[in-house]
Amino acid sequence: MRKKSFRGGVHPAGMKELSEGKPIQFHQAKGEMVFPLSQHIGKPAIPVVKKNDPVLAGQVIAKADGFVSANIISSCSGKVKSIESRMTSAGVIAQCIVIDNDGAYTLMDGIGRECDYTQLTSAEIVEKVRAAGVVGLGGAGFPTHVKLSPPHPEEIDYVIANGAECEPYITCDDRLMQEQPGWIIGGLRVLLHLFPNARAVIAIEDNKPRAVAAMEQAIAGEDRMEVMLLKTKFPQGGERNLVHAVTGRKMASTDLPANLGCIVDNVTTLAAVYRAVCLSEPLMEKGFTVTGDAVAEPGNFLVKIGTSFAEILEAAGGLKAEPRKVIIGGPMMGMAATDLNVPIAKSYNALVCLTEDPVEKAEQQMTHCIRCGRCARACPVGLVPQMLNLYAERKDYDRYVKLHGLDCLGCGTCAFVCPAKRPLTQLFKMTKGVILRNRAAEAAKAKEKEEKAKEAVRV
Amino acid sequence: MNGLLNVSSNPHTRSRLTTGKVMYDVVLALLPATVFGVYLYGIHAALIIGVSVVTAVFTEFVFDYLTHRPNTLTDGSAVVTGLLLALVLPPTVPLYIPYLGSLFAILFVKCCFGGLGQNIMNPALAARCFLLISFAGAMTDYAVDGVSSATPLAVLNSGGTVDVLEMFLGYGGGVIGCSGAALLVGGVYLLLNGTITWHIPVSLIVSFALSMGIGGEGGFHPLYLLAEVCGGGILMAAFFMANDPVTSPVAVPGQVIYAVFIGILAAVLRIYGAAPDNVSYAVILCNLAVPLIDRVAIPKPFGLGDNKKKPKPKIPQPAWALAIIALLAGVALGVVNYVTAPAIEAQALAANLASYAEVLSGAENIGYEDDVTAALEGLDGTEFGRSTINEAVVGTDAAGNVVGCAINVTNSEAFDGTLSLSVGIAPDGTVLGIAFTELNETPGKGMLCDEPDFKDQFAGVQTGAFALNGDVDSVSGATISSASVVNAVNAALAFYNGYLK
Repeated sequence: MRKKSFRGGVHPAGMKELSEGKPIQFHQAKGEMVFPLSQHIGKPAIPVVKKNDPVLAGQVIAKADGFVSANIISSCSGKVKSIESRMTSAGVIAQCIVIDNDGAYTLMDGIGRECDYTQLTSAEIVEKVRAAGVVGLGGAGFPTHVKLSPPHPEEIDYVIANGAECEPYITCDDRLMQEQPGWIIGGLRVLLHLFPNARAVIAIEDNKPRAVAAMEQAIAGEDRMEVMLLKTKFPQGGERNLVHAVTGRKMASTDLPANLGCIVDNVTTLAAVYRAVCLSEPLMEKGFTVTGDAVAEPGNFLVKIGTSFAEILEAAGGLKAEPRKVIIGGPMMGMAATDLNVPIAKSYNALVCLTEDPVEKAEQQMTHCIRCGRCARACPVGLVPQMLNLYAERKDYDRYVKLHGLDCLGCGTCAFVCPAKRPLTQLFKMTKGVILRNRAAEAAKAKEKEEKAKEAVRV
Repeated sequence: MNGLLNVSSNPHTRSRLTTGKVMYDVVLALLPATVFGVYLYGIHAALIIGVSVVTAVFTEFVFDYLTHRPNTLTDGSAVVTGLLLALVLPPTVPLYIPYLGSLFAILFVKCCFGGLGQNIMNPALAARCFLLISFAGAMTDYAVDGVSSATPLAVLNSGGTVDVLEMFLGYGGGVIGCSGAALLVGGVYLLLNGTITWHIPVSLIVSFALSMGIGGEGGFHPLYLLAEVCGGGILMAAFFMANDPVTSPVAVPGQVIYAVFIGILAAVLRIYGAAPDNVSYAVILCNLAVPLIDRVAIPKPFGLGDNKKKPKPKIPQPAWALAIIALLAGVALGVVNYVTAPAIEAQALAANLASYAEVLSGAENIGYEDDVTAALEGLDGTEFGRSTINEAVVGTDAAGNVVGCAINVTNSEAFDGTLSLSVGIAPDGTVLGIAFTELNETPGKGMLCDEPDFKDQFAGVQTGAFALNGDVDSVSGATISSASVVNAVNAALAFYNGYLK
């Protein structure tokens, strides 16, 4: 089998042995469920329920606002407790729908009704995906129905199932491929139906031999599907790097995969597409890994969206040691959490509790930059973080932009590999934020000026 | 979960690599060359290394302390600087040389520019250049155990041939870290564990070899190129000096440009420069160009413009500027060389002129003569015992008749290492007299060789060779010095009788 990869990248310790042998447990939350209105890229959804309204599992409780947005589905039955501002896992206070869970999980009518996708038109399939509130579940949260509606579907020649799971610690995609290969294959069949000229590639890192074996077995007899082995390397699962590894095509920061004839979806997303289209099940639950050396019984779960992190941590036996750092997502790209009483949103896939914070130690080892160039060699998008660091520190934003600093993915590769332990990624994220904010402010100012001028003309 | 949680930006994990580990990897890579140097040159080499490393570390410690900076010793960069400097010193230098060198490297080149990562030149190489300029004698004296031998490169440069394998292994002589084989082992180690990449060493060696092939005397003869690459610190520069991360470009395109420039410059300096081991200057000069290279040679971000039709890439303006500056500098160098060559020749003659006048009494004009110079060059590095013929001139009187020939000789059997003298020889082979140009013997003993009592024994004698205590009585208590003088005079006679008569 071919083994492909991209240029650059790093090899953080996998740490997947903590949970990779644990089968997926089905978890039904008991307490109140919280649904932030923005769990995706695009406009926040608009609530369609009111306080005290009864809701059923699978019911749309907030509607997509426009095309690039997504429906929010209640994953439990009960009563709307309130629609209020709450702390969400991103550390941001945002509007959420809070539902008092009755614990019965009474489903709406029609959910689970099997449906033959070959009888549906493309538009009908995309509409089913849209109604089900499916977004990219690998982390980005990009509405899937948008991805499935490229301007020229006939030009798509690759459908890539992203099973790389290159983040350390996380194993839920690995388990899903082993335990529910049928869901993933089902999702791929739907996509191949939408894109008649495409063939499907299931891309998996070579540290998941059992997932590879399961997928190989599952695609037996499928003539438009193949499994491709990728080298274990971070960020192998990054969209641009994955497209390059699989097809040899190089995506610029301004390209969408569809421009290059590719549709890339995470295996979990494909499973959700299958369940939405063929089983009429909207997105109510997703794979989730609870792990880390502070967790009593690390494991993989199929968790209801809206469950609080605290509750899923209890399901994993709670803590066996006092954590120093809790990460939502993996250690490379995840966010540090301050509070566990926040809901699991659609695109979160792990909770990692660590008794030691490697960043703390790194801060003590920090030295001046020794210009070794490891960051430039590792950067998956070919930037030179050393120089970006220089200009970001000097607040020379023009030069920062000129060196393509806005292309930074924030993947953490440079900061990981830096022997001088410079907080590169942090600085880049901050600088990017400042530049974009400055631009927005300038645009607003220009608009204001223009309007004033117009008014002056009117007067 | 009661304690406060740490919050920070991603990534929440870091590689185990630290600055200290990078530096100690370099030390480890230098170990084969260090051990071999000590094995080859003995305890004095070990002392040089010790003094250099300890001075470097101590200087940094004191600087940090006095300027109230955090202690930076754990990063190991001072050890690397000290060790690198020691390895590019001759094995016989007095111990104050590594001390001063290390002090200069750490204090002026590194700390004054802001410490680790901020220096614009490689500290060890800058210190070597400082020492080469300040202590030219000691820094180019490769005599071991009183035996002065030309370094293989010096021989090669004067047109001789050398045993390349011997040279590669390090038995040919040179600086403490002269073993190309040991350096290569270290270099390969660094390549394999990712501390360096192949771009700088390969670009440097290839561009150097190509330049030597085009401009060097040996052309593209593989053995000649191999000898040039193995000698004079090219391997040291390629794997360690030019690869110093702080003073080399960060990204690959810049690294290649930088290394190619070093290779060309090193070859130009080797072919046209005064001393053969000028690669230090080449690296230092290119170090200074790094900020410019870094600004120009920025790698293309992943995928940028790959999916669009793009105009022909333009060579950025600074690259043109750099090329033109390099060209102008080369032309200027050539012109200066052309203009100053006769003056340099006159100056060389002037150094020994007084002694020639002394031994060729009656001569009005003293100068080089083509036949004599040709004979001298024809010697091809041949030595007469432990003596080396440095120069030969011819003196004529006012009428144009030849008074005689004066030959300057250095003998390395003197009590204090070497002595040099000029011997005047009449056309019939009669010795006209001797005069010393270098005599550093024991006062009251060997220094008495310069007294007429001893010197005049040679004058007026026509012989093939003098015998000590036969034809010439030795200075009492200074037999070694006397023997050295006799051997030097005999060497001059042998040269005269064998090649000029």
